[in-house]
Amino acid sequence: MSSDHENAPEADTEYQHAEDDGPQPEKHCGHGRGGMGEEVSRKEDKRFITGRGNYVDDIKKPDMLHCEIVRSPHAHARVKDIDGSRAEAMDDVVAVLTAEDLLEHDLATMPTLMDDTQDVLVNEKVKFQSQEVAAVIATDRYTAKDGAEKVEVDYEVLDPVVDAQDALDAEAPLIRDELDDQEDNHIFDWETGDKDATEAVFDAADVTIEEDMNYQRLHPAPIETCGAVADWDPGMDKMTVHMTSQAPHAHRTLFSQVSGIPEHKVRIVSPDVGGGFGNKVPIYPGYVVAAAASFVLEQPVKWVEERSENIQSTGFARDYDMTGELAATEDGVIEGVKVDVLANHGAYNAAAQPTKFPAGFFNIFTGSYDIEAAYGSLTAAFTNTAPGGVAYRCSFRVTEAVYLIERLVNVLADELDVDPAEIRRRNFIPSDAFPYESATGWNYDSGDYEKALDKALEMADYEHYREEQQRRIENDADKLLGIGISSFTEIVGAGPGEQCDIAGIEMFDSADIRVNPTGNAVLRIGVQTQGQGHETTFAQIVAEELGMDVDNISVEHGDTDTEPYGLGTYGSRSTPVAGAATAVAARKVRDKAKSIAANELEAAEEDIEWDRESGEFHVAGAPDRSITITEIAAGAYMNHPGGEEPGLEATNYYDPPEMTYPFGSYIVVVEVDRETGEVDFEKFVAVDDCGNRINPMIIEGQIHGGLAQGIATAMLEEVTYDDNGNVTGGDFMNYLLPTANEIPNFDTGHTVTPSPHHPIGAKGVGESPTVGSPPAIVNAVVDAMNHAGVSHVEMPMTPDVVWAALDDAGLAHKPAQNVEFEFDGASGSADD
Amino acid sequence: MTDEREITLTINGTEHTLEVEPRRLLVHAIREDLDMTGTHIGCDTGNCGACTILKDGEPIKSCLMFAAQADGAEILTVEGMEDLPEATDLHPLQEGFKAEHGLQCGYCTPGMLMAGKALLDENPDPDEETIRDAISGNLCRCTGYQNIVSSIEYAADELADRTATDGGAVTAEPGGGDGPGADDAEAVCGQSECCGGPDADLFERDYPTEDTDT
Ligand code: FES
Ligand code: FES
Repeated sequence: MSSDHENAPEADTEYQHAEDDGPQPEKHCGHGRGGMGEEVSRKEDKRFITGRGNYVDDIKKPDMLHCEIVRSPHAHARVKDIDGSRAEAMDDVVAVLTAEDLLEHDLATMPTLMDDTQDVLVNEKVKFQSQEVAAVIATDRYTAKDGAEKVEVDYEVLDPVVDAQDALDAEAPLIRDELDDQEDNHIFDWETGDKDATEAVFDAADVTIEEDMNYQRLHPAPIETCGAVADWDPGMDKMTVHMTSQAPHAHRTLFSQVSGIPEHKVRIVSPDVGGGFGNKVPIYPGYVVAAAASFVLEQPVKWVEERSENIQSTGFARDYDMTGELAATEDGVIEGVKVDVLANHGAYNAAAQPTKFPAGFFNIFTGSYDIEAAYGSLTAAFTNTAPGGVAYRCSFRVTEAVYLIERLVNVLADELDVDPAEIRRRNFIPSDAFPYESATGWNYDSGDYEKALDKALEMADYEHYREEQQRRIENDADKLLGIGISSFTEIVGAGPGEQCDIAGIEMFDSADIRVNPTGNAVLRIGVQTQGQGHETTFAQIVAEELGMDVDNISVEHGDTDTEPYGLGTYGSRSTPVAGAATAVAARKVRDKAKSIAANELEAAEEDIEWDRESGEFHVAGAPDRSITITEIAAGAYMNHPGGEEPGLEATNYYDPPEMTYPFGSYIVVVEVDRETGEVDFEKFVAVDDCGNRINPMIIEGQIHGGLAQGIATAMLEEVTYDDNGNVTGGDFMNYLLPTANEIPNFDTGHTVTPSPHHPIGAKGVGESPTVGSPPAIVNAVVDAMNHAGVSHVEMPMTPDVVWAALDDAGLAHKPAQNVEFEFDGASGSADD
Repeated sequence: MTDEREITLTINGTEHTLEVEPRRLLVHAIREDLDMTGTHIGCDTGNCGACTILKDGEPIKSCLMFAAQADGAEILTVEGMEDLPEATDLHPLQEGFKAEHGLQCGYCTPGMLMAGKALLDENPDPDEETIRDAISGNLCRCTGYQNIVSSIEYAADELADRTATDGGAVTAEPGGGDGPGADDAEAVCGQSECCGGPDADLFERDYPTEDTDT
């Protein structure tokens, strides 16, 4: 997909730092410039390692009240009566709010990001367990909780439906009976690609394969939950909300729309945020309740979730039930792909996608492969479960798509008895075919998939493990070896305004640079960091483009009163979009700096050149007649050229011409214990290509973190429900985040294929590992059992799941009933 | 509020007297009554470790203890690390987390630092498995742990270097004398081309010693 575009600059080809395999730049030591490609240590670290961070729950204001939400124990129930009088009678309880109170202020409902309407507090009917029913506002946290326990709610319990397939049954209870034209639990159907062409390819194919696979319901579960401190200022008629927000400006617009407070009287501040991963993109009822309470009571109100509330009521991710098919020649050349999905969206359509993409970018499911024909269909259903479908470290369903295609390719390799590395090679989009338009209409910017795979194979010592695998099979060893590959292509950097929006606002982003008279600068950006290191990497872009030292650049983000409008940080969009805006703004400053340089050096402006290496401006042909940005900054304020504006600053709003397409190859080697079903990671290789690299240390950190989340997905995590709609995996005792004991060390590598349309050739990297690694892990576990006919194992692959697969395939080793100890006479006592 | 009782907590060397309800969690007393918000809360079931502090030298989850149970205790939180005897500008663990990129969002970091401190107090030269075990009660959603392990290894090396340099005068814990002595310099410094002798650079830096600190 492409759009006409005026402001997209050509990628700056003079900048090509970190070539793959080449010598890496020096570590920034505080004396250099700290530009692109340098491992600058993070500016944000000091406050975090000294306990001086400022997260939402750290904020304390005079007379601040606390909000506790009363939640439904039932998944589906009519609320017949709410009696808050016992709570209200408590000394330190200030108010009990219900839907009735909110209706008075027209705040009873709020729009979701997919334009559905969600109750802020339940108006008539509860639609999922833990839904918000009432709120108690008190002078302290403990009293608010006591009060919440005293609120009596009379429910008429209804039959719930939690499974998406069951929900589409004609007999299923109707969940959304408040909607006039909703007669069943069906939300939408969606189609992509060319059905007829795909069917024709399948009819004529030598080989076809099919596999069912479930991408289970996950929760992003950042270690900091969601929360807000809302502070209505009746003197200024202004609402300030400090909140855990990945998209402060979009939230300001939505807040204004929901509350009726004009947007210039709403300020959203997203202070330090303890991880987001897509969880903090939507608006949640708690934020609105805190704001409403502050407005009514004219005091600051704090609301902070507990972990169970976070997992049970805020945006989940995935929950796609997929059937995929491939058609191929007998040589393993893939000709067609088909997919059918049933999506569980929960009680409201509250997914977080650009509005024109109800299934997100799921139609990227042709992956890294040159496939002639593709067709996909999807049906989404309401169920009595928490609403969601957020992009958990993911660009809008690309994670599900990559899982699907990378699993299918392996199933095909099994069917044809071709090595999984080889079958990928036979089908990759060739490196000279870019820009490449996929069968579903995406316009891939650049790629060299084979190079990344080759590098990963070499790093993983692939052949060695294949031999070892065979040896273990022949020896009937207790631990089988499995090797899994995933050669994924990502789609990030949403996105071109013609296609992408959040609640109607185009997904551009912004940067504003102001150079001070003393030669340092402040950069303000429309994106916001939740740990990605923007305060460092964005300063590096400016350092690179202006010849300034990175230590002389401060990056500000997350406050809508001071930052330029932006759409926030998720879907690996910060570098592709706001990073581009930063580079363009810096180049605008550089242009202006040239006229000041000309004035200072008494030369014509056309004769002034900028040297990227030294970062200085000089007169063409006379490198000695040079001037630094610091001297120019002084000139801009103290000796500005006549006929020009004083000052030295620039702003850019960047509408990306295209998405960017990072890619990589991951290889996972696992040991599967035939007695216990336990899986151990023997080797974990990740080769990523995110185009030009800003800060290799931060990139590697992102890769590590994302791989850990990929392991969590493949091995451990799932939000589960029982038939009554009770969440059975809704806290950290049951929703299992991996600890340091479950995560192995990773071997990371990279190749560099710059994006041709991005001003610094960068592509974005944060989500690649979460997107790319689950299929590699599943492929590895399946590969360990494949010789006995196993073609798929569902995630999460907990030991019982793996053991059942081993048992079905006749591979399980049962523990010996009477374990006899054998003592080796030479080694001494039994204590040895 | 009913039944408040007076308790004394010595936090980072400063004594605080406060009135708390018997049910008040220690983490809330620290964060909300004493405004030391470096200690975090990430769960309601004692699983995440964001609230980890040292109570009388032992790492505990401060969300699993009532403030009243800690009456009279000596508590260390992240805010006190810079003032520990083994800290220069920063504590070696804090330096390690920065140098090794052991944090991203920073939310788990104070708890990780505390878990790391407890480990190094007990075992100045832990291997990787021991480190992973010691932080296995602390969840991090951002880093994948590998760099956190390196951060703690960095601190262990740094502390061992200093111990070696000062002939054992500085130990991680006042009074703990079981750190490696000067003889161990080669084994613990971690440099591949280690000369086996003390790092000349270190002599120029002014590390506090037990003697000068008191
Ligand atoms: S807050 Fe999670 S263990 Fe204490
Ligand atoms: S750095 Fe974010 S949770 Fe550990």
